[in-house]
Amino acid sequence: MSTNRPIGFWGMSMLVIVSIAIVGYFVGIQSPMNPVTRNGLPAASPLGSHFSTSGENSGTSGAIPAPTYSQLANMDWGAANRRKTSLTDLPKPPTVFDPNQTLTITPQQKDFALAMRDRNRAFNGAPPTVPHPIDQMSAESCMACHGEGVQTESLRISKMSHQFLTNCTQCHVESISQNLTPVEFAESTFVGLPAPSGGLTAYAGAPPQIPHSTWMRVNCTSCHGFTGQVGLQTTHPWRQNCQQCHAPTSALDQIQLETEPRFLDPPNIDQ
Amino acid sequence: MAMATAAAAGSTGMSLPVLSASETDGADVAWNKAPCRFCGTGCHVQVGVQDGKVVAIAGDKNAEVNKGLLCVKGYHVGGILYGKDRLTQPLLRRGESYEPISWAAAIDIIADRIEAAPERFAFYGSGQWTIPEGYAAQKFMKGGLSNNHIDPNARLCMASAVTGFLATYGVDEPAGCYDDLDQCDVLIMWGNNPAEMHPVLFSRVVDRRSRGEKVTLIDIGTRRTRTTEHCQHYLEMKGHGDLAIANGIAHLLIKNDIYDHEFVNSFCNFKAPDDTNPNLNGRSLQFDEYVALLEPYTPEYVEEVSGVPADQIRMLADLFGNRNLKITSLWCMGMNQHTRGTAINTMVHGIHLLSGHFGKPGDAPTSLTGQPSACGTVREVGTLAHALPGGRVVANEEHRQQSEEIWNVPPGRINPKPGFHTVQMWESFCTPKAEGGEIDTIWVQVTNPGQTLPNLNKLFNAKEGQDEKFLIVSDVYPTATTRLADLILPSAMWVEKNGVFGNSERRTQQWFKMVEPPGEARDDCWQTIAVARRLFERGVEGMQDRDGKFLFHIEDDAGKEIPTWQWEHYYDTNVDEHLFEEYRKFTRLKHKDLAPYAEYVKARGLRWPVVENNGQWLETRFRFSEGFDPYVSAGKKIQFYHSSTHDDRAQIWFNPWIAPAEVPDEEYPLMLCTGRVLEHWHTGTMTRRVPELSRAMPGAYIEMNPSDAADAGIRNGDQVRVESRRGALTMVAWIEGRGKPPKGTVFVPFFDETILINDLTLDAIDPFSKQPDYKKSAVRIRKAN
Repeated sequence: MSTNRPIGFWGMSMLVIVSIAIVGYFVGIQSPMNPVTRNGLPAASPLGSHFSTSGENSGTSGAIPAPTYSQLANMDWGAANRRKTSLTDLPKPPTVFDPNQTLTITPQQKDFALAMRDRNRAFNGAPPTVPHPIDQMSAESCMACHGEGVQTESLRISKMSHQFLTNCTQCHVESISQNLTPVEFAESTFVGLPAPSGGLTAYAGAPPQIPHSTWMRVNCTSCHGFTGQVGLQTTHPWRQNCQQCHAPTSALDQIQLETEPRFLDPPNIDQ
Repeated sequence: MAMATAAAAGSTGMSLPVLSASETDGADVAWNKAPCRFCGTGCHVQVGVQDGKVVAIAGDKNAEVNKGLLCVKGYHVGGILYGKDRLTQPLLRRGESYEPISWAAAIDIIADRIEAAPERFAFYGSGQWTIPEGYAAQKFMKGGLSNNHIDPNARLCMASAVTGFLATYGVDEPAGCYDDLDQCDVLIMWGNNPAEMHPVLFSRVVDRRSRGEKVTLIDIGTRRTRTTEHCQHYLEMKGHGDLAIANGIAHLLIKNDIYDHEFVNSFCNFKAPDDTNPNLNGRSLQFDEYVALLEPYTPEYVEEVSGVPADQIRMLADLFGNRNLKITSLWCMGMNQHTRGTAINTMVHGIHLLSGHFGKPGDAPTSLTGQPSACGTVREVGTLAHALPGGRVVANEEHRQQSEEIWNVPPGRINPKPGFHTVQMWESFCTPKAEGGEIDTIWVQVTNPGQTLPNLNKLFNAKEGQDEKFLIVSDVYPTATTRLADLILPSAMWVEKNGVFGNSERRTQQWFKMVEPPGEARDDCWQTIAVARRLFERGVEGMQDRDGKFLFHIEDDAGKEIPTWQWEHYYDTNVDEHLFEEYRKFTRLKHKDLAPYAEYVKARGLRWPVVENNGQWLETRFRFSEGFDPYVSAGKKIQFYHSSTHDDRAQIWFNPWIAPAEVPDEEYPLMLCTGRVLEHWHTGTMTRRVPELSRAMPGAYIEMNPSDAADAGIRNGDQVRVESRRGALTMVAWIEGRGKPPKGTVFVPFFDETILINDLTLDAIDPFSKQPDYKKSAVRIRKAN
């Protein structure tokens, strides 16, 4: 394998982590799973600078608005000049992800990744809330990025973890309303089930069992692939058939089979 | 933070890292089934409990209703138990503040109020009551106190659906079920936004497209919503336009001779309102009289009064005229919260019957409910001012005798005069005794009338300062209703207690208590039984049955009475099961048979009638249809065996188009529609305490058409003053937002207890169902300073 790839990967990881860290610093950790760090939300949009917010010119609900033809001649582009309306125009990552590399994940990376996931989940298994503006009326815009998953210089956009379901906003709502006065509401003592930090293993080096339900988590690469958090990525991205080695859990998957294996009666042995 | 997590440079040849599983990997989480606490869809959830607390929720993959999927409210339903301001002790008003009191003292206070004037006491209940809770309240009032002043919030929600079913089929509740959504070729939504209000059912339809199936969605509505975005056709109508549209379809079905002759000749009669004696039987029509009444409803006339283009009326009629298509209609509050709600309900049934789109999978007119047990507890247990369990009514002597027999109470115990319906009850409560107010004390359980009654200033807020009036509220959080409460009782909720719900498709669903309620919060059903027992101990005769035993006498296997009125003994037995088995006897009186309690423990709900066959309890998917419904005689194909004309036929009604009770004028030029949003369930008392939901939808707003906003100089985010003849409020404008109302109309959601839009709504009601219309109130707006 090429020797310069790990360095490229390292650089890219740093960029992503630093930018996430900066966002995280301003946002604070909002999930009830981390009640200690919920305070300090600024009044302004908590979102990264690559997102538009509903400005005065915005007639729509937060997604980047297009001006009408009649407005074009007199448009004061202002800040909108910096807006990127095309995904393909965004800066690409410095190196293309190499599926043949072997990754090593540190426990710190994993903790960080789990904390990042917690930010917009009430409990392990909750549908994540959406950390960016959404189109109030149409779910189709979700698919532009989340249909396949995207990685740019500054963004990791995960592929949907489940089969295509039409009405995205049925389960996924904005983390913070972009149109109504945002609130930092915390008047709850609900403590959500935390995400597992790993699956059970039979012995050191054995493949861990899948520690979560695989219901609605059909695409392993959504979290464990290259658009997932570094700390959750598979160490062996070239492998395609995940469940060949990683077994699901029948109880978590609500498989209504026997909870314990049954056996025939043992032979009667005269003592 | 960033430095600490910097990635180590990977190199080849390293062994795969092993991270040990932590103690938090969920292995000690116990999972159990429960129906969701929120809407009438009746999804099942799996509730994850760890260390006595709900910690996670999953969609129940083995539930037919939702097949593992939920909506954002359902996924966060566990959080509703843990708002920081849960009510945990009984509170008695002392002037402007409250004094914590014991349960014993609270029960005594209620008993005092009832004993002093039993006929001036009213019970205001809910479609969120579990079936045993509603049944206990029903028996306590009608079988114990001989008092029929018991009515539920469902009066505000689906009373017109009930009268629509009764007037058409002679018996309440849908013939079809959710399976229709998997089969239909055309889905027509009448004033309905299921993408937000019944998302799981909506996904059940629209996700079929992802599998390559073709289904035509038609939205007949008064504003563009998320539902509209999925529809091939959007028919934007004016309020009450639905009356004209239904008549226009019937007109064309007959004029073009594309109605189903065989179905109509075999299974239908015709009816019109009896103006001299208005009732649900109406007056019979000959077919040619029916045709003559429809004559004026040409597509052009329908366009004129409804605003829907004539071509789209023709399109609808052609769809109904096509026997090869399967057509399902859905509706909810748009047709029910309507001063002609009974009429439009019967008319939508009517066009399905006239065109034969009935009784086959995918061909059904189906009303949806908003509460988890509006069907189970209100419609089936009959917790309405005129009703008894099992489709019985108090005005019918035979029905009273049947009920007295099952309850084992002395003959004549049940009062034959219907009690006050919701609007009457609250109007009477808010009217001083000296001015004729007949109700002094209301006990509210599991609902929030201080936010949901229409015209709040008249029907709720007027109670303030009337010392002779006493309001008792059992709830889980402080609400707009507890504002004016004199006695607040802390209740257990959802999986803090046993329960049984009945959903929109006749499905009865059971769950067990999984966690302890906080503090001194206790089951609503226990509260009712404890008050009844206190009255029994004081010698109130109504609390005894024919044998002198307590009305809620429960004994153990050895024949010894279990003191369920003592909280520490309430869970010595399963009170729900005892009440349910007694209630089951009623359900067989009108072919709404329920299975034994134990069957529901095993199932993810069963759709009634559930009839035993060779030791198996079999549910019914399609009522009145041979091959599905065990009560249809062989060879009948379709049999309306509760026909009000006693000839196994359903009634096709003509009703005229009539303008709304209030229409915009020069003074109040805009039409206000109120409703719900995806993130919050009804008055938001539960969902607004879930951070994920409240952050996404923090408060109420007014949706306006951009041209109306421009005319008033209002921009997105401006504060707007909204005024009706009944009240005024200030709220933020959201233009081109969640919904898009047409010019001349505005929309405000009702979930926000700090912006009580029902201060502005009209309290006009449907003449038959007594249900108010929250969708059509005239208002004016201006930019607030």
